[in-house]
Amino acid sequence: MSGHDVEAYRRGWRARLTYWGMLVPALVILFSSLYPFLQGILTSLTNRKLYLQTEDFIGLGNFETLIHTPLFWTALGNTLIYAVLVVVIQIPLGLGFALLLDVPSRVRSFFRTTVVLPLLVPPVVAGLMWKTMMQPQSGVLNWLLQAVGLPPFSWLTDPSTALISVVLIDAWVFTPFAVIIFMAGLQSVPPEIEEAGRVDGANAWQIFRLIRLPWLVPYIVLVALFRVADSLKQLEIIYATTRGGPLNATRTLHIMAYEEAYRWSNLGRAMAIVFVLWLICYLISGLLLALWQKQEKARYAV
Amino acid sequence: MRSSLTARKTARTALLTIGYVLMACFVLFPIVWILMMSFKQFGDIIAYPPRFLFSPTLDNYEQILFGSEAEQAAGQMPNFLGNLINSIIISGGAVIVSTLIGVPAAFALARGALLGAVHVRFTVLSFRFGPELAIILPLFLIYKQIGLYDSYVGMILVHQLITLPLVILITTGFFREVPVEIEEAAVLDGAGIWSTLIRVLVPTVMPGIASAMIIAFIFSWNNLVFGLVLAGGETRPVTMGILQAMTFDQIRWGQMAAAAMVAAVPGMIAAVWFQSRIIRGLTLGAVK
Repeated sequence: MSGHDVEAYRRGWRARLTYWGMLVPALVILFSSLYPFLQGILTSLTNRKLYLQTEDFIGLGNFETLIHTPLFWTALGNTLIYAVLVVVIQIPLGLGFALLLDVPSRVRSFFRTTVVLPLLVPPVVAGLMWKTMMQPQSGVLNWLLQAVGLPPFSWLTDPSTALISVVLIDAWVFTPFAVIIFMAGLQSVPPEIEEAGRVDGANAWQIFRLIRLPWLVPYIVLVALFRVADSLKQLEIIYATTRGGPLNATRTLHIMAYEEAYRWSNLGRAMAIVFVLWLICYLISGLLLALWQKQEKARYAV
Repeated sequence: MRSSLTARKTARTALLTIGYVLMACFVLFPIVWILMMSFKQFGDIIAYPPRFLFSPTLDNYEQILFGSEAEQAAGQMPNFLGNLINSIIISGGAVIVSTLIGVPAAFALARGALLGAVHVRFTVLSFRFGPELAIILPLFLIYKQIGLYDSYVGMILVHQLITLPLVILITTGFFREVPVEIEEAAVLDGAGIWSTLIRVLVPTVMPGIASAMIIAFIFSWNNLVFGLVLAGGETRPVTMGILQAMTFDQIRWGQMAAAAMVAAVPGMIAAVWFQSRIIRGLTLGAVK
């Protein structure tokens, strides 16, 4: 009895079979999504229309058309700018909020509750809420700007300000994700290291810069991974606010693909756009994932 | 010495206060403002400068939830109550399926010492990272063909793409935190793997499973794009209903605000009541 049995329970072939049996239904469901995915790749090589059954194989024709479509390059640019702005805004902001929530105070637990709220609101609802507040004439945001003596802003209605306005809404919804991860990161800083720093006479800024920030690097990479991947394919906030306008200022690849399919019925071309986007997501998130694993390994090797 | 210390303390408190005020404004103002709007009459909504004081009304909620059927039939109003019920069926169903399938899978990943378990975890994770349309646009054609378009079964199935990875990743994190000794005692008593899972581990990590279910439900509920592509009139979820309220000929701000608040209810309840669990679950799902 005893030791041998436990070992058999964990490693024996019957145990292994049982474990795989537990895993299989989940894998079947997840991997069954490969079928539509592969089907979609085939569709991207055809001139399939959404509501017509016929399709002709046109090879890389859709991709060739895209290369010669200026709007495709605009959308690609918007997609990348959106993702960069998201990271540039949300990581420092999330870090600031997390540091604030790390300081013991009476109101901390109240704010820890409220800070997650935007993340749990449907993005489409957040989009509509902000669109209401961003109305140039009647919206409350311009009234607030004027109340503090600033000129009104054109927000979503002007091509030059629309993209940054959508990014601001994205920041409202998703900065809480960064805050949550950074709070976990700050809590995992070994107290003895911080204590040693304090004994050596380091001030708050030095402790942040020399101890906490280096410790947080893997967490920052992790937040960047999730936020970049999500914002490259952001659709719902844009769909709820501008649908790509005005004058294509917020047309990202994902929105362009949706419109190509449902507005122009060009399913083949829509799939071609989606796969360009998929490739970008795959490459960038793969890169960040590798970076994160390297960070993790380095940490546990020490 | 002492006065400089108090001065520094005061400066610190001031800085903290400013930080908290800024954070509160950024996070809470939109919600408070739309909440107020949902209780306003039309005249109070379009008033400029905006009104912070007004006599509240429940009209907007009444209209959005029980509005006239004539208007719904004429396509002037979404059937918002119907959308709500659809969302409850779809997200509730999706979470139940994901829990039944995902919890054993998570257990196998956490305890199975399986070759390739790491790869399985990253594969599960990677289903988050691609654009949804890559799967659901082709799925639209397939669903049309096999009759799953605009059906609850079809919607529950496709929502597995959201709920199943979340349940698996979060629950794996919770299982990992349970000391192995607990199961070893059960094994020595002659329990098999399944009965160890059901009798020993599931009760132990029940709070973890519950928070995984809550998180999965919210993200499924909040999703728009699956409904946009795969749901027609019969299964339209709440996120589409609210969009409809916005796109009718004239924007009914008050009703839109009321619909927004109703659509955001599950998330808000979760944030307020299960706050620490949600945070832990989200962290485990991402970090571990």
